[in-house]
Amino acid sequence: MKTAFKVMAAAGAVALTLAGCGSGADNAAGPAAAVDLSNVKYEGSVSVITKYAGAQASFFEQMAKDYEAAHPGVTVDLQQESDQGYKDKIKTLTASQSVPDVYMAWAGNYAEQFYDNGLALDLSSVIAKDTEWGSTMVPSALDAYTKEGKTFGVPLTLDAKYMIYNQKLFAQAGVEVPTDLDGLLETCDTLKAQNITPMSFGNKDGWPAIHYITQLNSYNVPADTLEKDYKPETASFTDPGYVKSLDQFKEILNRCTTTGQGANGADYYSQRDAFGAGQAAMFYVENLEFGATAPEGSTAAADGFTISRLPAPAGASGDTGAVVGAPEGYLINSKAKNPALAVDFMKFVTSKQNAETMTSLIGFPSPVTGTLTEANSTPQLRESIDDLQQASKLAVWLDTVTVPAVADAYLSGVEGLITGSKSSADIMASVKTASESSK
Amino acid sequence: MSGNVKTVLPSAPLARVAGAPVDLPTRRTRKRKRWQSLVWVVPGLVALILFVYYPLVLNFRYSLETSNIFTGQQRFVGLSNYTKLFKDPIFFKALLNNCLYAAISIVFQVFFALVLASVIENLRSNRFRAILRSIYFIPSAISLTVTGLLFSFIYQPQGGLLNGILDAVGLADLQQAWLGNPGTAMLGIITMSQWQGFGYSTLLFAVAIQRIPRELYEASALDGIGPIRQIFTITIPLVREMTGLMMIVTISGAFQVFNEVMVTTGGGPDNSTQVLGTLLYQSGFIKNDFGYAAAIATVIFVITLVLALIQVRYTSKRRVS
Repeated sequence: MKTAFKVMAAAGAVALTLAGCGSGADNAAGPAAAVDLSNVKYEGSVSVITKYAGAQASFFEQMAKDYEAAHPGVTVDLQQESDQGYKDKIKTLTASQSVPDVYMAWAGNYAEQFYDNGLALDLSSVIAKDTEWGSTMVPSALDAYTKEGKTFGVPLTLDAKYMIYNQKLFAQAGVEVPTDLDGLLETCDTLKAQNITPMSFGNKDGWPAIHYITQLNSYNVPADTLEKDYKPETASFTDPGYVKSLDQFKEILNRCTTTGQGANGADYYSQRDAFGAGQAAMFYVENLEFGATAPEGSTAAADGFTISRLPAPAGASGDTGAVVGAPEGYLINSKAKNPALAVDFMKFVTSKQNAETMTSLIGFPSPVTGTLTEANSTPQLRESIDDLQQASKLAVWLDTVTVPAVADAYLSGVEGLITGSKSSADIMASVKTASESSK
Repeated sequence: MSGNVKTVLPSAPLARVAGAPVDLPTRRTRKRKRWQSLVWVVPGLVALILFVYYPLVLNFRYSLETSNIFTGQQRFVGLSNYTKLFKDPIFFKALLNNCLYAAISIVFQVFFALVLASVIENLRSNRFRAILRSIYFIPSAISLTVTGLLFSFIYQPQGGLLNGILDAVGLADLQQAWLGNPGTAMLGIITMSQWQGFGYSTLLFAVAIQRIPRELYEASALDGIGPIRQIFTITIPLVREMTGLMMIVTISGAFQVFNEVMVTTGGGPDNSTQVLGTLLYQSGFIKNDFGYAAAIATVIFVITLVLALIQVRYTSKRRVS
């Protein structure tokens, strides 16, 4: 009967997760009221949950300590989870209607679910672009947490994806940093011919390939079509640019990587280490990870490295000025006991001084302008942030900008594309089905 | 010892019984004792009802609803989650993977484990037997997360141990991304699981074999029966009860697989390693479709409940015989 108990426990886990869901009659959906920061009561506690457990935990620990010191009547209840642990925990907390006052939400549909269902405050009056606080931030970071003119999130980091190039290996092969997609593929051929691995790539977690697809979709599909298709109520996914993007990714996979069809079995981080060890000439990586990709003392750091956006296809019909990435932002629970205090805490965390502290402590760039200095960042990180200021928009990760069913269809479909069991057309057919079922 | 031996009872109680009026419990005492025993039973019963049976009933209710976890709103949809389930090709893929897992586990964790336990227990040296038992048991003592990481290194397409060995022995053509190829990923996970669970089953069989009287082996040896025939004519028949139990436990375990997949592939690539447990998790915690997840949980419950009932029936029958 031990078995039966175990199963009952598993079934119970689902049931208990939902047990917090009542009839819901008194939980009116829809955006909550605006916040007023003119009269914050510095008393009681503010609960905060982050996804920065481990190496990045020190930043919020420092912030909690500093905020409590600045406001003696306030306690910060801080919980820090790992990335995966956070995804599980926030769902359970949401289902049991016990979301902390301040919580992290990935930009796109993921964050909008909380806002649309009345679990996030409208912060437009305090952080919209034309406000004192909002004017300190990169506009595209605020856009990622803005829906129908209402800003509902506080961007904390500014994360975007760039191709990172080993300068020594490029010089050795006599090639330049490519400026378009064909140039990239030709560069790969040249590097391969000289027995240099052009690009390291591992897709064991599914999302590394999705980052390529996000960027290629923004290059190949007109921006307004993308915006419509990423929302199930207006989605059609009929633009030929989607299939083109998947085909282009497959071409990159075949001509530039050595993992190729086996990429689903290769770990992203070991492939990142391969670049750091000078075993590959290129790696597509988030700017938050520049330091970890080519750390001091590594071969790649000694060889020298430079960055650029993923080269766009010539004559692409989408927005070639967009860069894949998104800020990681925090929402304020509209049911918080002292919402103004929670907002004030995040204003404190994103002050210029504390944004600089974040970069110094954990290496994450902030969307607060002018916070990267020679003392707290590498030239490549500063270059990426300067480039983001020029970007037409941030193309939010495909697996968070779309509804979960569409994201899942893309994730599993692209894994099939890599192994050769699915074609680009097959993937788009399942994406359409998933989108239809989410209406 | 003959049949005339009488049972000798302790003298003190006899002395009391021999005394005048027998101190029989009154109705009030019996009632009090009944209440006292209830005090011990009720907390466990309440906990069981509250944390096991009530969630189970709730789970079934939720499988008949769709829910919005953000607002807490739930809507009755009848059997539509079950209809969706039986039209979902990934559900059948997951079910098939669970069945494959069960079939391979029976081969390794029941049959091979029994043979290995017999071989170990036939060894003459006590010390060598103990060493071998420990060696085979050690993998079971390793955390599954560590095992998952270990096998991820073994299966790595570039620089992985398995591909390295294949290259070294001239079988480079067989090299591949073991966990990245839909054709080999599930088998890779099952292999990892067998490596970890094999020693535990072997140990259980070894304990069962140790309970077989040595005289049977000695007598059969005098009759000229060799060690291999002894396994089939003495060992296997006399560990029949343990074998039956192990089969049921192994099959039930195969339908509850979750961690093994989560620490290696997470159900990918392209859902090729999806099992019912991971499908349940992804439906609920990734896709927010908790009604559908509850329907999957109900299916797993029904399958394992049937297996548990067989287990109970089998063990009670064995006890009687």
